[in-house]
Amino acid sequence: MNESLLFDWMLGAFALGAAASVALPLGGVLRRVALVCAAIGSASALALGLSVLRAGATWTARWDYLLQPLGGVALRVDSLGAFFLLIIGFTGLPASLFAIGYLKHLDGRMRSRATHALFNIFLASMCLVTCADNGGTFLFVWEVMAVASYLLVISDPEQADAPTAGLWYAVMTHAGFLALLAAFIILAQGGSWEFPVLHNASTLLSPGARGAVFVLMAAAFGSKAGLVPLHVWLPRAHPAAPSHVSALMSAAMVNLGVYGLVRLVFDLLPPGPPWWGGLLLGIGVITALTGVLYSVAETHLKRVLAYSTVENLGLVFIGLGFALLMRGYGYGALASMGLVAALLHTLNHAAFKCLLFLAAGSVVHGTHNVSMEMFGGLIKRMPATAMLSLLGTLALAGVPPLNGFASEWLTFQVLVAGAQRTAPALAILLPLALAGVALVAGLAALSGVRLFGITFLALPRSTGAQQAKESTRIMVVAMAIPAVACVVLGIAPTSVIPQLSRIASDLGQPAGPLSAGLALSVPLVTSRMWAAMIAAVAISAGAAAAVAVRMVGRHRPVRVGAAWNCGRIIQSARSEYTAAAFAEPLKRVFTGFYRPTQEVTIDVHPASRYFVRSIRLRADLAPWMEEVLYGPFVRATRAVSDRMRQLHSGSIHFYLALLPGALLMLFVISRWLR
Amino acid sequence: MKLFHKIRRTGIVTEPLSVDGTDGVALAREIDARARSVFGRALAIREVDAGSCNGCEVEIAGLSGPVYDMERFGLHFVASPRHADMLLVTGPVTRNMAVPLRMTYDATPDPKLVVAVGDCARTCGVFAGSYAVAGPVDSIIPVDVTVAGCPPEPTQILQGILAAIGRFELGGARRA
Repeated sequence: MNESLLFDWMLGAFALGAAASVALPLGGVLRRVALVCAAIGSASALALGLSVLRAGATWTARWDYLLQPLGGVALRVDSLGAFFLLIIGFTGLPASLFAIGYLKHLDGRMRSRATHALFNIFLASMCLVTCADNGGTFLFVWEVMAVASYLLVISDPEQADAPTAGLWYAVMTHAGFLALLAAFIILAQGGSWEFPVLHNASTLLSPGARGAVFVLMAAAFGSKAGLVPLHVWLPRAHPAAPSHVSALMSAAMVNLGVYGLVRLVFDLLPPGPPWWGGLLLGIGVITALTGVLYSVAETHLKRVLAYSTVENLGLVFIGLGFALLMRGYGYGALASMGLVAALLHTLNHAAFKCLLFLAAGSVVHGTHNVSMEMFGGLIKRMPATAMLSLLGTLALAGVPPLNGFASEWLTFQVLVAGAQRTAPALAILLPLALAGVALVAGLAALSGVRLFGITFLALPRSTGAQQAKESTRIMVVAMAIPAVACVVLGIAPTSVIPQLSRIASDLGQPAGPLSAGLALSVPLVTSRMWAAMIAAVAISAGAAAAVAVRMVGRHRPVRVGAAWNCGRIIQSARSEYTAAAFAEPLKRVFTGFYRPTQEVTIDVHPASRYFVRSIRLRADLAPWMEEVLYGPFVRATRAVSDRMRQLHSGSIHFYLALLPGALLMLFVISRWLR
Repeated sequence: MKLFHKIRRTGIVTEPLSVDGTDGVALAREIDARARSVFGRALAIREVDAGSCNGCEVEIAGLSGPVYDMERFGLHFVASPRHADMLLVTGPVTRNMAVPLRMTYDATPDPKLVVAVGDCARTCGVFAGSYAVAGPVDSIIPVDVTVAGCPPEPTQILQGILAAIGRFELGGARRA
């Protein structure tokens, strides 16, 4: 299919959607038109990505008359961009469809216009980020994406903590933007900002400047991807946003951090020293561990998922760091394997996290609650959501034959392959990273058990959960799309390996063969994983066990009774395992990390302290990372702004007196600059 | 050294297991053999305290204590009625325990045996007539064998268990 036509369809649909949400009269028609446009645009993005990936060609366009001060708009979709475009289209499609059912309650409200329009703009800007081919275009659409997502985060006035979350997000994302701008300025050396020119110019940079560019870019894209310690906005902003937006932010937007890093470091910069990779690898391990530890401890449903995003992006960055490390040591094949593992995990994470955030939206929509402590028993009331969530949770927990396992396996094996190289730094670093990945995988499984068990099983813990209703059909269909992808990518991960290998070789490195028939294989460690075989064995073993039980028990009398509850007469939700209790053992093991605080209040009868009326326990985790890393900065900003406030005396004479002072200072500065 | 010498010389000191001429070990062996022929496996017992003074529990605990150690012959106590072949019920059934006892009985898979241990389980003992007592065990669930005594000795409990298995062999599968 013609790429230009698809591109026009994509932008046209998003533009139409945004225009329709402003122009049409308020109501259901507006919602449907705007979101169907978003879905069409996403589908076109998906088709464009697929078509470019399939054809192996690149698609370019230039609109010099637009954004002239920034050097015109230059667009180019190559295999790397197409891959991320595919991810955006693929997550945007179900998110748009989901929103048709999810945002019904906004019909007739003024803010529905803004929400739908921003949603279209957000999608369009994300798609354009993957197409940008010069610094000006990239920075522009990057900023549009940041602003659109910021406005979407604060769009729900019922979320009390949305303004704070938005502030964190805005500050972090703009700090990232500044770092990116600085990186581009150093990289361009006063010349053109076109990517092909930058690619050639970067070889002329001094190693120190290149290192600075790398660190700035790692910080900029790390803040978007939620790398520790720049992750603080993520667990705040994702829960505050409406669920279809959090699905997009978590499954598409954070991945653009990965895209940016791959584009600018692998594509534009020449191979750097090994410490680049070591730095990313170390941060990746810390990020993955931090993310998974908090995702096990949190009780806010969407925050659990947001921390899980942090964890998975950590795993992706482990792959990227490994690739950079290998590139630094000159092992090209291994580097490209690391890159393939990272990209595969990006894709897989996008699929299951999109599914899980939409399912979380469905749960929140059905129960009007966000805390896991308020759920329970939803498998009876929302069976479709529960089954799809189970699929997503299994993928998240890395259970074969679902897709989370495939890429975690590949990351693990590639690290093993790298650890056999002889460089002493690798011999120390990679086994540590392996241990980290193993711990992360185990804890992610624990988190998955808790996520599904506490939310969907047992008895409902609140009236909201009691009266929950299954979501509308379109929402279920929307959730089913990524669920199918989770299964397909899990059983046949090899179907995307050739494309990913081509991306890696397009970035200038020969790719090693990573698939053997239907099995994933890593030649250097001679290990292979045949997911379809695992699925076949698991399913046939289960079926055989079921048949065997039937056959053996055929002639025995069967008595159906209630589940054994230890003879309890009153079975209430109060005796259930809670999300916090489930995480308690882990909180004790990792006390030093979590720094739990607890406060017990015992209310006793005035006559005797032995007659207890009530006991209240309030357990919380100290947000020490924020305090240690950002506390001084926040306090300094407060102090400065307090000082500034003293100038706001309200006296017009004082303000007038300040004017000549400012003029004088400008004179001095201009003099000094000249 | 003197201590070690004494330990070596004295050997293991324990009480004889036979009480009133009944050999506990032989009894346990017989129970195990017959339970295996009836249930096809070692006997799994679920103990239910339906309101006992815990005198009977002390004796039952004696069965798995170092002197009797009946687990070596296959008699073992399990943690859930789902795993049990036999319920060992003690005490007068209190009002609070009447429903749980019934639920326990229902939760035990067929075929199953019920042995009511102690005078209280049989007749409510000294607690008869109390406002807190619902009645003897057989007023709540069907009982196969009752073991008299306050409390009965472990050997007597073993005899009761054996009698229950004997009844079962005669009567075939119990009604549910």
